[in-house]
Amino acid sequence: MENKYWRSVDELQNGKPIDSELEEINHKEDVLHLSEKQINTPASRRDFLKFMGFSVTAASLAAACERPVTKAIPYLIKPEEIIPGKSSYYASTYMEGSDYCSILVKVRDGRPIKIEGNELSTFTKGGTSARVQASVLSLYDSARLQTPTHLGKQISWEQLDKEIIAKIQEIQTAGGATTLVTPTIYSPSTRAAIDALIKSFPSVKHIVYEPISISALVQANKQSFGISAIPDYRFQDADLIVGFNADFLGTWIAPINYATRYMDKRRLTEGQKTMSRHIQFETTMTITGSKADKRQPIRASDEKIILAALYGKLSEKLGKAISGVPESPVKIDFLAEELFAAQGKSLVLSGSNELECQILVNAINLLLGNIGETIDFAHSVNLKKNDDAEFAQLMEQLNSGKPQGVIIFHANPVYDSPVGAKFLESIQKAALTVGIYDRLNETSAALQYLCATNHYLESWNDAEPTTGLYSLAQPTIQPIFDTRHFQESLLRWAGNTQAYYDFIRATWLTKLYPKSDSEASFETFWNKALQDGVLEIAEKDELKFAYNPKIAEEVIPKIKAEKNDSLEIHFFESIAIGSGSQSNNPWLQELPDPISKMTWENYAAVSPKLAKEKGWQNGTVISINRKINVPVVIQPGQNYDSISVSYGYGHSNMGKVADGIGVNVFPLQSVDGTSVLNFVTITNYAPTGEVVKLAQTQEHNSMEGRPIARESSLEEYLKNPSSGNELHEEFEKKHLTLYDDPQFDGYQWGMSVDLNSCIGCGACIIGCQSENNIPVVGKKQVTNRRIMHWLRIDRYYSENPDNPKVFHQPVMCQHCSQAPCENVCPVSATNHSNEGLNQMAYNRCIGTKYCINNCPYKVRRFNWFRYVTNKAFSYNMNEDLGRMVLNPDVTVRERGVVEKCSFCVQRIQDKKLNAKLENRPLRDGELQTACMQACPTKAIRFGNLKDPKSEVSILKKDARNYHLLEDLHTLPSVGYLTIIRNDKEESKS
Amino acid sequence: MHHGFELPGSFVKVKLRTGLKLLGISIILALLLPMSNILANDSIPPGGKTPAPHNHDDIKKGERLFFGLINLGKDTKTCVSCHNTSKLDTLSWNPSAFEIGVASQGKSEADLKNVLLNPVGIRLSNVHKGYVLTDEQIGQIHSYIISLPEKGAPQHKKLMVNRLIFIGLILLVLLVIADVIYTRYLRFKAINLLVVLIAGFFLTKITVTEAMAVGRSQNYEPDQPIKFSHAVHAKQNKIDCLYCHSSAEYSKAAGIPPANVCLNCHTLVREGARSGRFEINKIHAAVDMQKPIEWIKIHNLPDHVYFNHAQHVSVGKVTCQECHGPVENMDRVKQVSDLSMGWCIDCHRTKEVQFMDNAFYDKYEKLHKDLKDGKIDKVTAEKVGATDCMKCHY
Repeated sequence: MENKYWRSVDELQNGKPIDSELEEINHKEDVLHLSEKQINTPASRRDFLKFMGFSVTAASLAAACERPVTKAIPYLIKPEEIIPGKSSYYASTYMEGSDYCSILVKVRDGRPIKIEGNELSTFTKGGTSARVQASVLSLYDSARLQTPTHLGKQISWEQLDKEIIAKIQEIQTAGGATTLVTPTIYSPSTRAAIDALIKSFPSVKHIVYEPISISALVQANKQSFGISAIPDYRFQDADLIVGFNADFLGTWIAPINYATRYMDKRRLTEGQKTMSRHIQFETTMTITGSKADKRQPIRASDEKIILAALYGKLSEKLGKAISGVPESPVKIDFLAEELFAAQGKSLVLSGSNELECQILVNAINLLLGNIGETIDFAHSVNLKKNDDAEFAQLMEQLNSGKPQGVIIFHANPVYDSPVGAKFLESIQKAALTVGIYDRLNETSAALQYLCATNHYLESWNDAEPTTGLYSLAQPTIQPIFDTRHFQESLLRWAGNTQAYYDFIRATWLTKLYPKSDSEASFETFWNKALQDGVLEIAEKDELKFAYNPKIAEEVIPKIKAEKNDSLEIHFFESIAIGSGSQSNNPWLQELPDPISKMTWENYAAVSPKLAKEKGWQNGTVISINRKINVPVVIQPGQNYDSISVSYGYGHSNMGKVADGIGVNVFPLQSVDGTSVLNFVTITNYAPTGEVVKLAQTQEHNSMEGRPIARESSLEEYLKNPSSGNELHEEFEKKHLTLYDDPQFDGYQWGMSVDLNSCIGCGACIIGCQSENNIPVVGKKQVTNRRIMHWLRIDRYYSENPDNPKVFHQPVMCQHCSQAPCENVCPVSATNHSNEGLNQMAYNRCIGTKYCINNCPYKVRRFNWFRYVTNKAFSYNMNEDLGRMVLNPDVTVRERGVVEKCSFCVQRIQDKKLNAKLENRPLRDGELQTACMQACPTKAIRFGNLKDPKSEVSILKKDARNYHLLEDLHTLPSVGYLTIIRNDKEESKS
Repeated sequence: MHHGFELPGSFVKVKLRTGLKLLGISIILALLLPMSNILANDSIPPGGKTPAPHNHDDIKKGERLFFGLINLGKDTKTCVSCHNTSKLDTLSWNPSAFEIGVASQGKSEADLKNVLLNPVGIRLSNVHKGYVLTDEQIGQIHSYIISLPEKGAPQHKKLMVNRLIFIGLILLVLLVIADVIYTRYLRFKAINLLVVLIAGFFLTKITVTEAMAVGRSQNYEPDQPIKFSHAVHAKQNKIDCLYCHSSAEYSKAAGIPPANVCLNCHTLVREGARSGRFEINKIHAAVDMQKPIEWIKIHNLPDHVYFNHAQHVSVGKVTCQECHGPVENMDRVKQVSDLSMGWCIDCHRTKEVQFMDNAFYDKYEKLHKDLKDGKIDKVTAEKVGATDCMKCHY
C-alpha cells in the first residue's frame, strides 16, 4: 500500500541527493567564509578578552545613548473614513495584461499593503494567485517610470500632449497610420477611450498583442463555429476533463476561475462523494498535470497527430469513420473509450497555438456533444483574445515606407516577440513612437515618448472578464509619482479633457445602468457596484453558430505522423513569472516553482531518461541552438525527447531584480505562417562544460521514507473512507506520553489542509510573505538553504520517474500541542499559548537554533542576516519606497533570531478584538489566515478546534484526516486530508 | 580545558593590562557621551526663509533693549522678564524670544509695533501697558528677534551628575589599586579594601539602575510645539479624553486630534487665560499654511511590542489615568509609568476582565464553571491568556 516517495531522481536512485556530500565539504568555506586557518585554530583567551572588551564598550555606548525624539504628526483635517491604526478594505480589480482577479485591497493609513480575493465575485470566488498577491509590491518599486519623458528627458504633460497630437495629425495628413498596440482590452471604458481616439484620428488603428498568444484558439472558433470568442469552459459540469498542454490550473487564460470550478467538482468534503476525472497530455510537468488522475507526457509537435487520431477513433465509434487518420504516437484507445462514455459530460482542451490542434479539439467537442453543455459560447471569456496576424501586419506596415506612428501600452514586443530584434529595427523608422508604461522595459528604451502610467492600485478602471460580469477598480493611494491613467492619455489626445473617473461613470451611466434593471438612482447603483467591486447583469452573447462540418476533415489529411528523432525545445509559462511583465518583483522571483522548486532563474527541464543518456546532471549548463546557455534540471514526468524552458527571464532593462537573471527564450519561438509556436526543433545542443549550483529548494526537506504524503483512489475511498490512512488509526491507539495532556479553554486554533484540493499554485506562500513581512534573501542564500518563507509547499513524487504521481503538501508550523521545539529552548523564547499557538518571542530569542534542530517538520527559519536596510539584500526592504509595503502589525525581525508561522496571530487578535468590541462570540470562518484567504481552491481551512461545530473540527474527524509524523506524539494542530485520485483500473498501463 | 587559562600570575597581569586599557576606553567614551546627549536633544533647526538684511549694531542695540540694559522708565517691564532667551526646565506660558523670532519672520516692524503698543488680546494689552518706545527702538528690537532663529534654538546643557560620580569612583578605585601596588601610602590595607568595596557597591548600583532604564523614558516631559495644557482642557473645562483622542475607543492608536478637532472650539475661543493668543494662533496658522503640527511623541513603545488602545479602553474598561497618570493635572504632559514589560505584566496578572459582561467570553466553559463552583472569585486577564508572549509580541 505504501508507495515509495521521492523528491528528485538523484534521491530515487542513490538514496540521497547527489550534491549533499559535496555541500558538507564546502559548507564551512562557502557559507561561513572562514579560511582554513580559522577553521583549524581554536579561539584563544586573547580573542575572548578582545571580544569581551568590545562588547562592554558597545553595551555602555548603547546604554548611554538617549532615544531619538519621535514625532506624532496628526492630520490637519482628518478624512472621515480614516481611523489611524485601523485598516480599511476597498474592492478593486487586478489587471495585468490578461491576468484578472477581483480583489479587496487592505489599506492602512493611506498605503495599500495586502491584496485579498473578493468573495462577492462569481468569477474568481475570493481566490487569488501568487501574481495577484505579489502585485502590491510592484506599486512600491523604484524601477517604475516616475515622470513623462521625451528621449529620456523629463517633459511636462501639456508639452507631451501637444507634441504627440501634432505628430499624429502630421502622420494622418501624410497618409500614414498610427497603430495603438495593447494587450487584450476587456475594460469597456478603456475600449470607449480607444474608440474616442480613433474617432478623432481615423488613421489610428488598434491592434492586440499578446506575448503568449492564443490566436489559434480564436481563429479555430471562428472557422469551426463562426464565433471568434473564447467560450466559458464549465469545469463544474464536466465528468471527464482532458487537457492537451493546457495548464488551466496555473496559467491558461483564466486559471483562478478554472481552478475554483475544477475543484468544486473534485472536493470530497461536505458529503460530496463524486469526483470528475482528469486526464492530461503535456510536455513538461505543470501543476495541472500534477493534479491529473492520469497523465501522459507528449511531444508538443505530436499534439495535432494525437488529436487527429483521437478524432478518427471517436468518429469510428460514433459510426462515422473517416479515412487518412494518422497513427497516434501514444496510447489513446482508453481515452477514446472514456470520452465516448462521457458524451456531453466531457471537456477537451488544448493550449496549443497551432490552428490544426484547436480545430480538431472543436471537432472532438462537437462530436461528443459538449458544445452547449460543458462549453458555453453564450458567456464568452474576454480576458485574452488576440490575432497574431495583426502584429505581423504592423511589422509590414512599419517597413512600408509610409510615415508611421506607434503607441504601445503595456506590451513589450522587443523582448517577448519572436521577431523582437526586427521590431526594434523597424520601430526606429517610425515617425512617432510612444510608450505608455508603468515601468521600464526593453521596448521602452527604444521609444521617443514615455507616458508614465499609474499602477493599477492607483487607478480607476473597469473590466468585463466574461459576458455579463463587470468589475470596477478604484485607486487606493494617490499616485506616488507624476503619472497619469493610460486612458486619460488617450482621451487628451482625442481632445477630451475629462478625468478617467468621470469617463467611466459616463460609460456606466449610458451603457450598464440601463441594462441593469436597477431601480435605484444611478448614484446608488454606482456606489453599490464600487463597494462590491463587481456587478452582474443577466446577459448572454448572441449566438450565430455557423458550423463548418468539413473543416476537421480538411485538416486531417494535412497531418502526417512523421517520425522525428531530433530533440525539441518547448516553452512554457511559469506560475510566478508568466510572460515576464512582473519580473522585477522579488517575491515572485523567489517563489519556488511548484514543480521544479527552482527560484531566481529559468532552466532546461530534461527527462530523467534523457539526462542519463547524455550524462547531464542538475546544473549542467547546455547550449541550445547556439542561442541560449541554460542549466539542466532533471524533471520527472518531462517528455523524453523534449526540453522545456520557461518564458519571462533574461531581462535587460527592467530593474535591478529582473535584469541579468535567466535567459530570454521568446526569440527562439518559431512562427508558422503568422502563428507563434511554443516549440521548435533543436538543431544544435551541447554541454558548455560548466556546472552551476541551482537555487532549488527541492532538496531542502525530505520525507526520509516516512508516511508523510498519504493517498488512495476514489474506488477504495468509497469502499472505505479511511483507505490510505490506516496508519492514522493505528497511531491514535498507541498514543502514550509522560507529559501532561494539553488543556485549552475556549479556543484552540487549528488548521486543516485538504491535499486533494491543493493544486500547489503558491498563492499561499506569497500571501504569507506579504502579510508577515518575510524578507527576500536572494539567489545565493537560497542555494545556502536560507529561504525565509514561513510556508512552503513540499512536492513529492512517487512511482515511475518518467511519469510520476505528484503530491503538493503545504507545510507551515504545525503548532504542536506537545511541541518538541519548546522543550529545548534555553531561554523559553518559544512556548505555548493558552489558545494552542506555538509562540515565538523574537526579542527573547538568542539564536541557539536548538528549536530548529528539534523541530521534526523543519518549519523554523533563522535570520542569518539583517535583511532590512542592508545593502547586501537590495530588494524591497532596503529602500524607503519598498518598505511601505510592510505590515505595521508584524515585527520586522532582526538578525540572529528564529522565526516561523504564527497562524497569523495578528489576524487572530484583530478579529477577537472586533468580536469583543461588538460584544459577541467569534464566528466560525470569520478568522482567515493569509494562506487560507489566498487559496483559490479552499484547500486550507482555519478555525477553533474547541468548537465541535467549527469547520476544522468537522474536518479533523474526517476519515481522511491525519497529521504529519503523528507517531512522534507531537499532537499537531494542523491536519491533512489524504489525496484521492480518480484512478481507473483499465487505464493503468 | 587545554586551551583554558594559563598560570594565575600571568593571567592577573594580562587581565590588569587589558583591564586598564578597557578602563581607558570607557573613560574616554564616558567623557564623549555628554556630546551624544546634546545631539539627541530636540534641537530646533535654524528656521525660516532668508532673513531680512539687518544691521549688526541694530541687533546689538535691540538685544540691550530686550534685556532691559537701556532704561525705559521705572514702570516698564523688560522683555526678558517674560520672554526667556534660553531653554527652561519648567514650563513658561509666555513665548520665548526664539518663538517670537520664528513667528516674526516675514513680518514688518509696523506689525511688531502693533503687538507691542496696541495689542489686540486682553492678556497682552494688560501686560504691554504704558510702553514708550520710539520707532527706532522698535526697529532695533525687531532686528534682534528676527535674528534669533538664524542662530538656532538656545540649548541648555544637562549636568551629568551620575556620570561624573561614576568616573570619580573609577578614578578612586584606580588610585587605591595603584597605592596597593606602587606607592603603598596607606598602612592599613583594610582602608583600601573598604574604599574598593564601597566604590564597587556604588559603581554596581549606578550601572544596574542605568542599564534598567535603557530604552525607557519615565518622566520624559518635552516641550511641545504648542503649549497645550491638559489641565486647562480636561480639568477646568471638563472635556472628556475621548472627545479629542476618539480613536482610542476603536483603534490601536489613541490618536492625536487633527487640527480640525481643535478648531471645533478654537474658531470661537481665540485667547487663552495664560498664553494669550500666541499659542492658539499656531493652530490657525497650521491650517492656513496647510502645515501639520509636529507634536513630540512621549509614550513610545518599542517596535516589537503591539499595544492596542481599543482592547484596553473599550474592552478592558481601563481608565486613561491608569497608564498615563493624572494627565488632567498636567500643563505639560509627562510620562508617568515606565512602560516596561514588568509594569504591563503586573497589571495583566491582577486586572479583572469583563468576563460576565462581554459575550465574547462565553466560550470559556471551564472558567465559567470554576466561577460558578466558587473555585475562583474573579477572572483575571492572565487567565484568558494575557501573559502569553504572542498577546503583545508578533
